[in-house]
Amino acid sequence: MIKRNLGYFILILLACVFSSCFQIIEEINVAANGSGTVNLTVNLSASKTKVASIMLLDSVNGYKVPSKQKIQKEMDEVVAYLKNSPGISNVKKTVDLENYIASVSFAFRNISNINNVNQNVLKKMKIKAVNNSSYSFSPETNTFQRSYAHTKEALTEYNKLKPEVKNVFKEASYTSIYRFEKPVSSCSNPLAKVSKTKKAVMLNTGMMGLINGKTNISNKIVLSK
Amino acid sequence: MNYFFKSAVTGAFLLGTLTVNAQDLSRKIPADAMAVMTIKGNNFLELMSAEEFNNTFIGKEMFSKLAKEQNNNYNSVEDFGFNLSSSFYYYNQTNDSVSYNCFLAPVKNLAQLDKVFEQSGKKFSVNGKLRTFFNADSSKIMRWNDEMLLMVLADGRSAYFDRPEIRERFGMSVIEVPQEAVAVDSAATVDATDVAAAGDQVMDASEVMVDEPKARSRSKKKSSHAAKSRKTKLKGKKSAKKSYKKKPVKVQPAEEAYMDAASAAAEAAAAAVDSAAIVVDTAYSYYEDKNSPYYKDKTIKTAVVARWTVKMIDDAFTGNGQNSILKNADFTKNIDQKAEATIWVAGVEKLGNAFIPSTTYLKDFNVLSGYGTANAKLYLEEKSIRISSAMTFSEEMGSVLRKVHQRKLNKAFLKYVNEDKLIGYMAYSMDTKAYLQEYPKLVSKIYGSLYSDEIGMATDLFSLVLDEEAISKVIKGDGIFIFNGLSQKEVSYKSYDYNEENFETTEVMKTKKETLPDFLAMISTEDTRLINKLIAYGVKKEVVKSKNSYYEVTIPKSPLALYFAIKEGIIFLGTNATEMEQIVSNTYQAKVSGRHKSALLGNNYAAYFSPKRLAGKIPAEELGSPAKIEKANKTLNSLGDIYIRSYPMNGNTFAGEISMDTPADQKNSLKYLFSVIENLK
Repeated sequence: MIKRNLGYFILILLACVFSSCFQIIEEINVAANGSGTVNLTVNLSASKTKVASIMLLDSVNGYKVPSKQKIQKEMDEVVAYLKNSPGISNVKKTVDLENYIASVSFAFRNISNINNVNQNVLKKMKIKAVNNSSYSFSPETNTFQRSYAHTKEALTEYNKLKPEVKNVFKEASYTSIYRFEKPVSSCSNPLAKVSKTKKAVMLNTGMMGLINGKTNISNKIVLSK
Repeated sequence: MNYFFKSAVTGAFLLGTLTVNAQDLSRKIPADAMAVMTIKGNNFLELMSAEEFNNTFIGKEMFSKLAKEQNNNYNSVEDFGFNLSSSFYYYNQTNDSVSYNCFLAPVKNLAQLDKVFEQSGKKFSVNGKLRTFFNADSSKIMRWNDEMLLMVLADGRSAYFDRPEIRERFGMSVIEVPQEAVAVDSAATVDATDVAAAGDQVMDASEVMVDEPKARSRSKKKSSHAAKSRKTKLKGKKSAKKSYKKKPVKVQPAEEAYMDAASAAAEAAAAAVDSAAIVVDTAYSYYEDKNSPYYKDKTIKTAVVARWTVKMIDDAFTGNGQNSILKNADFTKNIDQKAEATIWVAGVEKLGNAFIPSTTYLKDFNVLSGYGTANAKLYLEEKSIRISSAMTFSEEMGSVLRKVHQRKLNKAFLKYVNEDKLIGYMAYSMDTKAYLQEYPKLVSKIYGSLYSDEIGMATDLFSLVLDEEAISKVIKGDGIFIFNGLSQKEVSYKSYDYNEENFETTEVMKTKKETLPDFLAMISTEDTRLINKLIAYGVKKEVVKSKNSYYEVTIPKSPLALYFAIKEGIIFLGTNATEMEQIVSNTYQAKVSGRHKSALLGNNYAAYFSPKRLAGKIPAEELGSPAKIEKANKTLNSLGDIYIRSYPMNGNTFAGEISMDTPADQKNSLKYLFSVIENLK
């Protein structure tokens, strides 16, 4: 997944000694016909003083610190790949190196387009990951589904990290927001909140829960007809 | 048993009875021991009686664990039968073929000690006053009488047992360098041969051994797990360690054994048997196969080592102490009767050579070259807990260290130290010029034999390019870092808010507190031309701001402010502008007591840390919950001031010391140490 991909990316970027945190925000707007837009944001602003000092170094705790140019270049590669992916259009990225916030947004014809894209982006970034998450939307049944299964690999990889790096994840958070054109009639994940308009569902959780498998972000959202 | 022995020894180490006696066993330690650890029971006992120990949390925990594990009811460390007022020893004796780890304990009550073994179901042989116990595979042998107990854990060295002529002499199978990867694999798997299973054979060989049915059956069960885990461990290092293929006996390939096991498991599946377990068991029985050459080799090796061990123990019990460690002047010189515990190493280089694997990659490097005897001593004194250590070097290394350490700390530093404000400091003084001149010589000594030409050229080039004299004028080699505490600064960052309507995101600025260190560092300099040029360049590039007589370094995005100044041959770098201003305007109020003054000026290395002063100064955000804050502050408050210092070189000996003051309200250092550990629980 892109989010995990970016998670690893941040990990490499952030090897702070002090407590530091980052935010991953995933917003998906789904239209009635199943098309929609995605906006993925990684926000390291809360740790910007540490990131800034790390950026001055060549490597930290054994991890190579990428230069600003390298970050830009890798983001460009992701954008280029997305532009060539079937069903994906209107790809945009913003990289704010003042506050260390990066985001990618794009439109999809069908939500299943995202599933294929993610795995390949990861491959491109030479990151080992198991595709354990997928999205589906059925306009007929008005059902949006986010399937997620925790993989032990995440925890194994996490356990391999040095304690200083592990700390980075302790305060990190993950937020997903799904917006629809029709009101939500049911939502299966008890951690998720439905907005006042009933047209949006938000789930906010800590990264640690996702790594150790204690948090499940699967969700089945049924829209009213 | 292991736990019992450990507990008994630990307990005994900590305590003794009130009489000093002549039952000193050091005469039983062989002259060629590589390392010796001495625990003076009597010294501990003067600080805490056996009864007092029994009532500490460590004592109580030890007895309750023993009661649970062995159904034994001990109420006192004195029940184990050891003479707690005498000295206890650990020593290591290593030669090219075997390494012995020995524990030597003085016995006070033979009957009590016998009872301890009997109660834990350990059978031992009796020969007059001598008792001998073997564990299942004879890797641990214990013998005792009414004077002492000697436990030996022996390990045959593979470098020796892999030598072709040795294998031939003992009738072991021939080993060959592998032709293909598969061969490596099978050899490695086999290395996991269960050692415990070799027990039977050894018993025949050594004859004195007593059968121990209960322990054997238990160890057998355990060993199947052990074999499994050792297998996994070995995988990583097999290629480096044991790249041999063993001949000549026809062996059932390991894979085949696993295949058989797997099919057996499949058949048994209907009977709801765990197939994984079957695989392991079958594999285990393969290792147990007495016809396997690996089993035979292992058995031979274990038997040979056990025979040697028995001989070694015989010598210890019958020997007259003519060839004991007491003949070693360095050992006797370093046994301080006042120290509670002492570790003495005959030769660091020798010890290193005995244990660093002699692979082709490492044999030409001599990292420990020039390191001689070493020792460390623990003193539990009335006012402090102190560990002193010393290392003696060869004349060559010693002369290098003497030259490097000839500089003393700049006295002028003391004008900018205020001990009422600081939490700790670190000071170091060495001679940059001597260091730059001598360092290449050390490097060529370490790597010399392997890359002598290359290293020679590199070190010459190093001297050619660097002007040691000029560098030593810019950075003379002495400096001090004073830690004044922690401060907090507010920083802003971007985050997002979500409206309740439709969770639309809005970017918002939030603030949080960053914890920053508060420090002042000073280093000596003579030639400031280069630094002045650097400052001018920094000002031009707007990285450095001039504040009249001192400067501010601007670090982008960093909340940490850094100031520096150059004055009277000292470069100051600190986080406090007021302090910097006081320094340049000669208004800084210094305060240094005699203790700190002598620590700083009398040694090449000195460090100080006051945990008490840090208590309450760590921002809550860094610690988390109130309970954690309270515990951290409680621990910090209970600790005395910590001092670390090196002594001036004495001949070729470099010595140092770390000490912690014992708070005035504590009865003595040992009891205080127990209370600190208990608080940490």
